Amino acid sequence: MKKIYIVAFVMIAVAIGMLMNAADDMSSYSSFEMARETGNKVKIAGQFSKDKEVHYDPEVDPNYFTFYIMDTEGEQRKVVLHGAKPQDFEMSEQIVVTGRMKGEDFIASDLLMKCPSKYKDEEVYIKSTKGT
Amino acid sequence: MEEIQYLGEHLIYRNLGQFAITFGFVMSLLAAAGYFFATQNRNSDSYKSWRKIGRFAYTMHGLSVFTIIIVIFLAMLNKCFEYQYVQQHVSEDLPFKYIFSAFWEGQEGSFLLWMFWNVVLGFILMWRAKEWEAPVLSILSGVQAFILTMILGVYFTAELKIGSNPLLLLRDTMDVPLFSNADYVSLLQGNGLNPLLQNYWMTIHPPTLFLGFASTVVPFCFAIAGLWTKKYKEWLKPALPWALFSASILGIGILMGGAWAYEALSFGGYWAWDPVENSSLVPWILLVAGIHAHIVARNTGYSIKSAYLLYVFSFILILYSTYLTRSGVLGESSVHSFTEMGLESLLILFMVFFTGLGLVLYFLRKKEIPGPKEEEALPAREFWMFIGSLVLLFSAVIITGSTSLPVFNKIVQIFNPEFEGYTITEPIQHYNKYQLWIGVFICLLSGMAQFLRYKGSNWDSMSSSFWKRVGIISAFSIALTVLISLWIDLKAWQFWMLAFTGSFAIIANVNYLISSIKGNLRLAGSVFSHVGFGIMVIGVIASGLNQTHISSNPVMQRGLLPDEMLQNNVLLFKGMPMFMSGYRVTFESDTLIGNLREFVVKYEKLDGDGKPVEEFTVVPTATYDNKVIKVSAFNPSTKRYIDKDIFTHIATLSPRERDFELARTIEDSLDYITYSLGKENPVIILDTVESATTNTVLPTKAYLLGIESDPKHADYKPEEGDFAFSVKVAFEKDDTVFYAEPVLVLRQQLLYSFPAQINGLSFKVRLSEKTLDALYPPEDDLGYKRFSLKQGESVNLNGLDIRFDGFNKKPEHPGYIAQDDDIAIGAILNISGAELNKDYIAEPLYLIRGTSPFNLKDEIQEIGLHLRFVSINPETEHIEILVAQRGTQLENIPIEIAKRSFRSDYIVLESIVFPGINLFWLGTILMMSGLGVSMFRRRSEKY
Repeated sequence: MKKIYIVAFVMIAVAIGMLMNAADDMSSYSSFEMARETGNKVKIAGQFSKDKEVHYDPEVDPNYFTFYIMDTEGEQRKVVLHGAKPQDFEMSEQIVVTGRMKGEDFIASDLLMKCPSKYKDEEVYIKSTKGT
Repeated sequence: MEEIQYLGEHLIYRNLGQFAITFGFVMSLLAAAGYFFATQNRNSDSYKSWRKIGRFAYTMHGLSVFTIIIVIFLAMLNKCFEYQYVQQHVSEDLPFKYIFSAFWEGQEGSFLLWMFWNVVLGFILMWRAKEWEAPVLSILSGVQAFILTMILGVYFTAELKIGSNPLLLLRDTMDVPLFSNADYVSLLQGNGLNPLLQNYWMTIHPPTLFLGFASTVVPFCFAIAGLWTKKYKEWLKPALPWALFSASILGIGILMGGAWAYEALSFGGYWAWDPVENSSLVPWILLVAGIHAHIVARNTGYSIKSAYLLYVFSFILILYSTYLTRSGVLGESSVHSFTEMGLESLLILFMVFFTGLGLVLYFLRKKEIPGPKEEEALPAREFWMFIGSLVLLFSAVIITGSTSLPVFNKIVQIFNPEFEGYTITEPIQHYNKYQLWIGVFICLLSGMAQFLRYKGSNWDSMSSSFWKRVGIISAFSIALTVLISLWIDLKAWQFWMLAFTGSFAIIANVNYLISSIKGNLRLAGSVFSHVGFGIMVIGVIASGLNQTHISSNPVMQRGLLPDEMLQNNVLLFKGMPMFMSGYRVTFESDTLIGNLREFVVKYEKLDGDGKPVEEFTVVPTATYDNKVIKVSAFNPSTKRYIDKDIFTHIATLSPRERDFELARTIEDSLDYITYSLGKENPVIILDTVESATTNTVLPTKAYLLGIESDPKHADYKPEEGDFAFSVKVAFEKDDTVFYAEPVLVLRQQLLYSFPAQINGLSFKVRLSEKTLDALYPPEDDLGYKRFSLKQGESVNLNGLDIRFDGFNKKPEHPGYIAQDDDIAIGAILNISGAELNKDYIAEPLYLIRGTSPFNLKDEIQEIGLHLRFVSINPETEHIEILVAQRGTQLENIPIEIAKRSFRSDYIVLESIVFPGINLFWLGTILMMSGLGVSMFRRRSEKY
């Protein structure tokens, strides 16, 4: 069984090496403050600020979409996504953005929306009177 | 409170279904017990009677599962919206072909689909498994009992329940005033199937994937049965084809998911390392690892323990996958949304039970499991196959580890509620980084191990030829890698390494097919799979590493910008071509059919001189919700070449095109002003244009060009009986002339106005009832004059000479449809005049239908002449006609014009080139077919 032990040993060594390496890929959800201080690419889970402006004017620039979120520390910032506005964006409540700070704004490379689970109102069950 | 007697509820489904669920559950327990005692008494006389009980109970269980499925299916088919599950997944207008999709859209339905396949597999095993029937079906029945628990729906309190019942009535699930109405059923409507899921993928992907999921239970059951009955070697033979079948189907199911994501959804790729994808990939990897250990065990007696453990893990990981995707624990880390159903603890119990069963039995029996005493020889095939299995296990562990981060967070949070939890910042790069090396090792091992012999026999005599062969294959692989590098940019040394090993796997296995098994395809299962893996690896490098955007900022910016600054979308106005990455791209047209809107986009590849050398069109679509008000999803369209795909999808539309209610609000808020326009004397329209410094007032001249009686408009579809016309309006501004042709349609007493948009001016022009009245005054206002004529006579009106030339006994008239017994006569009238360039012929119609006389007018538009033939006197041979003429000048025609009407006919487009993506599909299909080929071979093995 010697050879197997050698293989096992090598694999465990590689696994430890990978695990230490992989630690760099992981982080807690960050805040705008952390992003500003470190300058690194971070992931922030924030509340979508529905009262603030959501800007997307494709006729001017189809790759410029901005909105505001509030991070867990309570800081509210503008997020810029150089891309199109996702479908049903306004429905989301929590938004997870990946990116880094640039000046006053957070430049996102990726965003994930969490929409609330389907409506629980009585109304959706009842036939609409408008007729379909 | 008084019980309400509800009307119109179909309680038979609930009663029957409820009974089937309970009965099926009891029968699965009885089957497990019956088969358990049959196994325990397998060498005694009572074996057959126990097995009889098992068989009977399992059959009853199977029939119960079928009954539940049929009952829910019927409730869906009959649109019984009083059932919560029906209400959530079906709507009145859902076509029959989507009822299946609606059935397994929900969690309860997908559990039923899983059970359905388990039942089918169980029936096959009952028929074919012989002495393995009792232990295998005993365990399978246990598994079924657990899955059935998920839909058992036993409620202790509102919070504490076991399973979620698919046959709950809506009124059982909530308490709203609606249910005080005894006739509430007639008021209900269904939510319907999510429009995203209304396609054929949703019909074929879940059943395939669930058959894959379900079939992993068979190798698991055989492994446990082998341990249980202490037939440690005998189970290997019957289990192998099942394992190969399962790996093949599960693999196909996973691939279908990737193909769906790529082809129909806008994910822009076939694999995103999403937790839901990972959690179905991991059991597949373990199954493949298990198959390799299994083959080693079959051939040499080594690795039996590994085969046991890998099959047990593979099944447990299926349960874990179920837990991950259905408990809600993944939360924000997955795009696949699954609602919570309160099954978390049940799923954990399920997992713990079968992990416990597998591992406890394994460790109890571990010492008894036979295996050769001496170590594997270094040059033995089994040693390297075993290493291969370990590499696959390693891959599975890494993927599971990263995917389980949310579970880890949750566990830590139990002890430390302050803990924020970890997340992977960039998941795709993270997974790729490690799996790349797994790929390298698997490719090398699958190439080299083929040329080694089991037990390392004859190594001394064949070692030199082995190394020579490896050397030559390596040389060819280097050559192939260089060729690949000419085609795609390999970017970093790791990818050179991967491309080399991928080539190595392909060449080595093709060589093995030719030289060692002499092209015998029956034995070539492993060759197919390994060559497939190598091809897939190269396909992944090509399509993943080298994908480029056609719609993008200039190429020179690439590599200079961090990825969050890349701009991958372009705005395309309808009919205005745009140049990007060597293509001229034009958004040509769009049409709405049902709730699907198709956008025709033309690509023209231009040569150096700007001449098109190649052109094609793609049709990306937008799917609107079931009421056709809002867009629910955009679906891509792909132009396929052998060496690449050009993938096009719409990132977004104008807000007005995404939401027709908004469009109507904006349309209603337009400020239309009525202008009196004519051919002469243009009207000046002033428009204020805001600029940064001043407000400039720019004049626009507006005048009419003419009337068209056969109008064309993008939104107008002519119907029989329509009276339609358009007015051509010209606008002059700064030497530029813009044209608009709004349309007005009179259809069954109703007026429909089709406005015309002028994008250059942001004007919208439409016709109204006033336009109609001005152009086509009512008959009473025409001022007809009456004349009496004989054949050959003529009368004079406004300088026109109208001569009656005779009758037409078989008249034709655009407004006349002949009926039997009609008496219809046309009067042929010749009109001439000094000011006319030519003579005109008119033929008004006189008609007696039944006993009543009618007449149909004729009109000569050029000179504004209206003619009617109103009576005939047979005795005097005189006819009476009515004639009126009005001015033909187009003057003072009321036209409505709105300023500040901005165009919305654009699409925001994303267009990606995936080079070599067909290699990915080819490779993966080869892999799965290889597993299938092996299955047929192993099925017919004699010993």
